Parts: sequence; structure tokens; C-alpha cells
Amino acid sequence: MTLDINWRRWRLVAFGGFIVSAILFVAIFANVVAPYSPYDLDVANMLAPPSGAHLLGTDELGRDVLSRVIYAARISMMVAVLASMVGLIFGTIIGSVAAYFGGWVDMVLMRFMEVLFSFPAILLAVVLMAALGTSVVNSMIAIGIIFIPGFARLARAAAIDVLRKQYVESARAVGMSNTRILVREILPNIFAPLLVEAAVAFSYAVLLESALSFLGLGAQPPEPSWGNMLNVGRGFMANAAWLSLAPGMAIFLTVLGFNTLGDGLRDAFDPHLRD
Amino acid sequence: MQDIRKHAQGAAGPTLSIRNLTVSFAGRRQLVQAVKNVSLDIWPGEIVGIIGESGSGKTMTALSAIRLLPHKAQVEGTIHLGERDVLSYTEKQMRALRGDRIAMIPQDAMQSLNPSMRIGRQVGEPIELHRKDSASRIKTRVRELLASVKIGDTDQRMQEYPHQFSGGMQQRAMIAMGLALDPELIIADEPTTALDVTVQAEVLRLLREIRDNTGTSIAFITHELGIVAELCDWVYVMNKGEVVEQGCVDQIFNDPQADYTRMLLDATPSIHGPRDEVPNV
Amino acid sequence: MLKVIFWRLIAFAFTLLVASAILFVTINVVPGSAAKAALGIDATPQALARFNAQNGLDQPLIIQYTAWLGQVLQGDFGHSFQNSVAVGPEVLRRIPVTLELAVLAFIVANLIAIPLGTLAAMRHQRGLDRGVTGFATILGAVPNFWLATLLVMVFTLKWRLLPASGFTPFSEDPIMNLKQMIMPALSLGIISSALLIRIMRASMIEVLSADYVRTAYAKGASEKIAVLRHSMRNALTPYVNVAAVEFGFLFGSVVIIEDIFLLPGIGSFVLVGIINRDYPVLLAAALTITVVVLIVNLIVDLLVSMLDPRSTAKH
Repeated sequence: MTLDINWRRWRLVAFGGFIVSAILFVAIFANVVAPYSPYDLDVANMLAPPSGAHLLGTDELGRDVLSRVIYAARISMMVAVLASMVGLIFGTIIGSVAAYFGGWVDMVLMRFMEVLFSFPAILLAVVLMAALGTSVVNSMIAIGIIFIPGFARLARAAAIDVLRKQYVESARAVGMSNTRILVREILPNIFAPLLVEAAVAFSYAVLLESALSFLGLGAQPPEPSWGNMLNVGRGFMANAAWLSLAPGMAIFLTVLGFNTLGDGLRDAFDPHLRD
Repeated sequence: MQDIRKHAQGAAGPTLSIRNLTVSFAGRRQLVQAVKNVSLDIWPGEIVGIIGESGSGKTMTALSAIRLLPHKAQVEGTIHLGERDVLSYTEKQMRALRGDRIAMIPQDAMQSLNPSMRIGRQVGEPIELHRKDSASRIKTRVRELLASVKIGDTDQRMQEYPHQFSGGMQQRAMIAMGLALDPELIIADEPTTALDVTVQAEVLRLLREIRDNTGTSIAFITHELGIVAELCDWVYVMNKGEVVEQGCVDQIFNDPQADYTRMLLDATPSIHGPRDEVPNV
Repeated sequence: MLKVIFWRLIAFAFTLLVASAILFVTINVVPGSAAKAALGIDATPQALARFNAQNGLDQPLIIQYTAWLGQVLQGDFGHSFQNSVAVGPEVLRRIPVTLELAVLAFIVANLIAIPLGTLAAMRHQRGLDRGVTGFATILGAVPNFWLATLLVMVFTLKWRLLPASGFTPFSEDPIMNLKQMIMPALSLGIISSALLIRIMRASMIEVLSADYVRTAYAKGASEKIAVLRHSMRNALTPYVNVAAVEFGFLFGSVVIIEDIFLLPGIGSFVLVGIINRDYPVLLAAALTITVVVLIVNLIVDLLVSMLDPRSTAKH
């Protein structure tokens, strides 16, 4: 309502944006930023507490924890980006097809989406991983599938809105084909709300990916991921707490960054939601 | 002018006396004054109309008396309810006054009744909050109150919820609630705006009866000149936070002094002067 | 009303059918792996074929599904590939564990969310409100399995107050049972409260600005009475809808927490099924969780349409 509150909002967006860009930077330039290789064993230096040489200590095989956390950011970001893309692309297609054709196509597609939506996310992810087999790529697919119904709903609502507008009717009138109308006229116009949803999906993907690899269903050792590092850390909680603290903190900051950024973006696109 | 009224009322002092009241809100850059240097009096047994368009500060002025303004409001001036210096009161002292010595009848009765509480409990709540009466005594009083605002079948009605009441009955229930403890002053904030014309007339007649029977003072806030003409003894005309004119109803209608009052009268062509009686419906 | 219930039930049955089909097809879509898992990598092709034939795994999926569904509808969840134990009774044994965990976590979440959300709403846009909102934002970013780890570090390793894991039935030793349940319930409940705090706050802010709350103040009510007597019930009505859905969600997200704290519930049964490639186990466990979640959602749906203030108020 007042300037003061807007400013507060922007501070949050800036905060989220800062964390997100920092993590993306670290993920992209992991090989430059990380002080050590995430795989190099150092048997003489197992479970060393944080020190000048190893800022976050070393793990049970003497690997540098900081470097592993940094490389794990890569996997986490990759899964988050690609899973959101899978959800975004398939969801948009399904949603806009349902909206465009309406009738029984709409009915069948959206009923199916609703059923998919009603599964608890983590359960569906786990079952999908069981079917697909454990790997980073598969966790990406599994998480992406979970996102499809959400995007489909949003795309359908947005597409129905767009379809009411003049330019789609005029496209029909000049005899454009269905596919052409979908791709040329509808998709570009429903992208903004979908991008906001993608930002939110991102942070959820980070959580789900870490959950899957925590259960041993995602990234497999020795590949570092925040989830599997936390899982290993559980075995050394008593004498090497840093193994549990560092990756947990990484997940926390990443999710926090994306959530604040997503909230801020949502407000920017939809001023009605502001306090 | 004040003197004429004082003699006319022949009372010891006004029920409500507001002096130099200014209500302001901190805006982005500067203070926005919603009420500017307003002074007004309401004498015992008097029905005083405060008339103005929305945004004229009439509701803010009235809410100041019961101290229910938004937290951010800054209030200057003095407000006396009888001998009590209301603005110097603590929140706890104010609570003891609200619903007991000053009551409020709001604009929208349906929104102002708690949807999940029985009417009987809501009407009796001022008594419950201010007196240590037994439940059965409160119930007896609620029955009387509902009967006095002409709600029949009281035992049944007390058990009902607001949505089971018609708009007119909801407003009468609100009035009953206001009367619960024989307040010195009732602030009625456009209580008939949400009602249709016939129901509106009933409610106005009821308010006048109440004044005649109990001697309660009523501050009647409205934007409708017609109602003022029917109901009020004395009128304050407010515009942009200021009192632009005051006088008895005759004077306001027949010999308006302020340009703004004339404008209001011109905008309401059907009003030609006060009527002596509220028509029977 | 009856018509509404009838159609909701039809939709529910349909959802259940599709959901079970999705689970069945997903789990059985990779052929042959179950036999390998059950018989070991050294199993001969003949043995594998015999296993597949015995368990009907060589049939087309649609036939396998209808056969399985027919059995499930008669209460028969089949037998474990691993040890031939009947799966149904095992599921029944595990449900109470998960139910206890979910209920306790739900209590924790509400005990945090209702007071904090209310306080934040009462101090809308002031320090306390910003503090509570910030707290909810932070909680929303903490993975529950990380919180579980942190709790174990503090309560078990540092203060030695609670056992790190394990399960004792409530009927055997209630104190021990609760001690073992505290940390799992806290890990799930605290994180769940993040969403519920926001919902409660928003709902309460709306109610507190209602005219009838001003009426309460005008009658001389204290803030305590205005909030507790006049606002709480009205604010809880929309909150309860979301909270009930959240309960279903809690029940669905027990997989990790049960694994961490070694609780023998449905969630850990899912993992048993996955790790052993024991399809009947996995299917039964996943289906049970899904059915419970769907039933909770159905009940919420029906309650919402029945608890509409205009119809409840009537009696």
C-alpha cells in the first residue's frame, strides 16, 4: 500500500535473486570455484574437522566437503532446471491442447491430470524411481512428471483466457491450422504465469531431488549430491557434524532463495496478491 | 446559537461535547487530515444529525467519541462524554464505556453481526461484558430488548443465527444490542442505508421512540437529507473534514448559510422542508 | 445434498481406479526385473520364466491389472516375492504406526500454526507479524529430513534425552512409544506448520477486519474476547479445509521420516518394496497411502459442502 512495503518487497526479491545467482554461478563454475576435486580421496585426512585447508572439513573418505557441496550444486541445479522444463513443456502442451479442443479431450486430459495431482509428491517420485531405475537423469524425469499436472492446470486456465480474445478468433477466421494457432498465438501469450510457476517448481525440485538422493534413489555415490551427502552424514553425526550441516545448509539456502524470488516475481506479475 | 439550544434543552450540560477535534493519518509525505478542528455538542435527549458525503469526516468524528479509529490515527482536541475526558482515558477505561455508556449502531447490520453466534448471545453480550448478571437474568433482559425493538417470538428468535433474520430484523437486533445497558449516547452510523424504504421508515420511527422513552442522545450520521428532515433536532453539515454549518432542522432547510449546504439541498429536489411526523407505514 | 454426495463418491471411485492403474502400470512397466530380484542374478532363464508364469508376469499388463484389481477388491494384496508372506495383513499391522505419526505431526503443526498465525494477524504489518512471516518462510525452506537429523543431533547425541530411532507399540509401553515418536512427529509437523501459519494468518487477518469484530469492540470487548470468542471460530472454518488436506499430505510424506527413525509403518514398507523389487509389497504400500490420502480429501470435500455456515447454523 505504501512505498515502505514495496521497498521491503524489493529487498526480498533482491535477497532471493542474490542467493539464486550466487548458487547458479557456483554450479556453473564448480570446476573453477571448488578448491579440490570432489572425488579425490585423502586417506590420511579422513573426517577432518573444518580448518584453513578444508573450510568445511573432509568426509569419511577424506574428500573435501566444500568441494563436494559445490559440485552437488551442479546436480541440484541441473535436475531443478530440467525437471521444471519437463513439467513446463509437457504441462503446457497438455493444458493448451485441453483448452483448445475442449469437450471430451479436455475432460479426459484434465481428469487424468487431477488424479496425478492427487498423489503425494514424494510417494509418486519414489514409485517412479522404482520403475525408472536410480540415476540423476531418471530423478529429473520423475520430478518433471510430478510437475506436469500443476503446469497443465495453469496453462489450461491461461489458454482459455487467451482463447476468448480477439486475435485467436481472427487467426481462425483467416484459416490458420489448429497446430499453428496453438503454437503461434496461444503459447507466447500464456508464458508469463507459467514462468512464475516454474520459479516455484524450481525450489520444490531441489527439495525433491535431495529427498530422492537421500533415500538412495537419486544421484549415486561417488557422485556428490546434497541428499546423498546428508544420508552419509547421518552415520557420522556424533563425531563429524559438519557432514550433516554443510549440505543441509546448502539445500536450505537454495530453497529459501528460490522461494523468496518466486514470491517476489508473483507479486510483480500479479499486484493483487500483495499484502 | 449554542445558547438557544442550551435553554431549549434546559439540561446541566451536553452528553457529548467535542472541541477542536483533528484526526490525521500519516501519509507518504505529509499528514492527511480527515477531521479538521471540529467542535460539536449533543445534548441529553437530542437526536443530532451529522450529514456529509462520504469522506467528509463524519464517521471519523463519531468513531473518535467511542475511540474506535484505526490504530494509525492521530487525534487532537478534547472529547467529553458527560464529565469524562474520553481522550485521556486508558484502553481499559474506554472498554468500560463502550457498549455501556456509548453504543454504536453500524451501517451494515448483516456484516456487523457475528455469523456463527446466536442472536440472543450477541444481543446480551454488552450485559455479559459489563455486569455480573446471571445467565437467566441476562436472558430475561434480552427478551425485553428484542420485544422493545418489535422482534416477536423472542424465545425462538434468540436461538437463531443472523442469516435467518431479514435485513430489517438484523438492524433491529443491532439496535436492541445498543440499548442493552441504557447508554447515554448512541452513535448511529448510517443505520438505514442498507435497508429498503419501508424498513428504513420503521427503523427511524423506532429510534425516535427510543429517544422519547429513554431520553438517550443519538448521533445520527447520514448522507441523506431526507432522513435528517424526518428525524433530527439539530444538524451539523460536514464537508472535507470541517463543520461548514450547524443549526436546527428548520433553519438548515429554509435558510441555509453555507454554499455547500445549499448545494446539498439543490441536489435533493424532493426535500422542501422538515416534516413533523414520520409517516406511518 | 444426497445428490452431491453421490456424485462425489462416483468421482472418488473413478479417481481411485485411475490412480491404482497408474501405480500398477508404473511399477510393472519394466518386465522381468521382479523375477531377477526375487531369484537372484544367477537364476537360470527357465527358473525366471517359471517365476513369471507362476506370478502371471508373462501376461499382458491389462490382464495382470484386472486380475490384481479383482484380488485387491477382495482384500487380497498377494504374497511377497521375497518371503511369500501375505502382504495384506502386514499392511494392516503397519497402518497404525503411520497413522500415529501423521496424527502427532498434525497436532504439532496445528499447535504451532494456530497461535502463531493468530498472533501475526493481531499485529498485522508490525514487528511480530514480520517475525512470524519470516519464521514461516524459513521453515518452508528446511527439508524435513534435515530437520530430523538436526533434532537427533541435539536431543539424542547432545542431551541424551530421546532414543535415536526404533518403535515400541503404544499398548506395550506408552512412554517409550511417545519418546520414540516425538522427533519424527516434530520433524514432519514443524515443517508442515510453515504453510499452515500463512493460512491461519491470512484467514485471521480477514476476520479481524470484519465489521462484526468491530461490533465486539464497540460492545466493550477486550482484544482477548474479540479474538477468541468472535474471530477464532470464523477464522478456523477456511483454515480447517487447508489443514485437513495438509493431513493427507503428511500421511503421504512419511516415507523418508519413517526410514530415518526406523518406524515400521507404511512409508518404510514402500522402501522395502523398492529395495527388494518386491512388487506386491510396493504396490500394496503405495496404494494404501494413496487411498488414505484420497479418502481424507474426499471427507474434507464432503465436510466443506456440509459445513457451509448457512447450513450448519440451522440447528
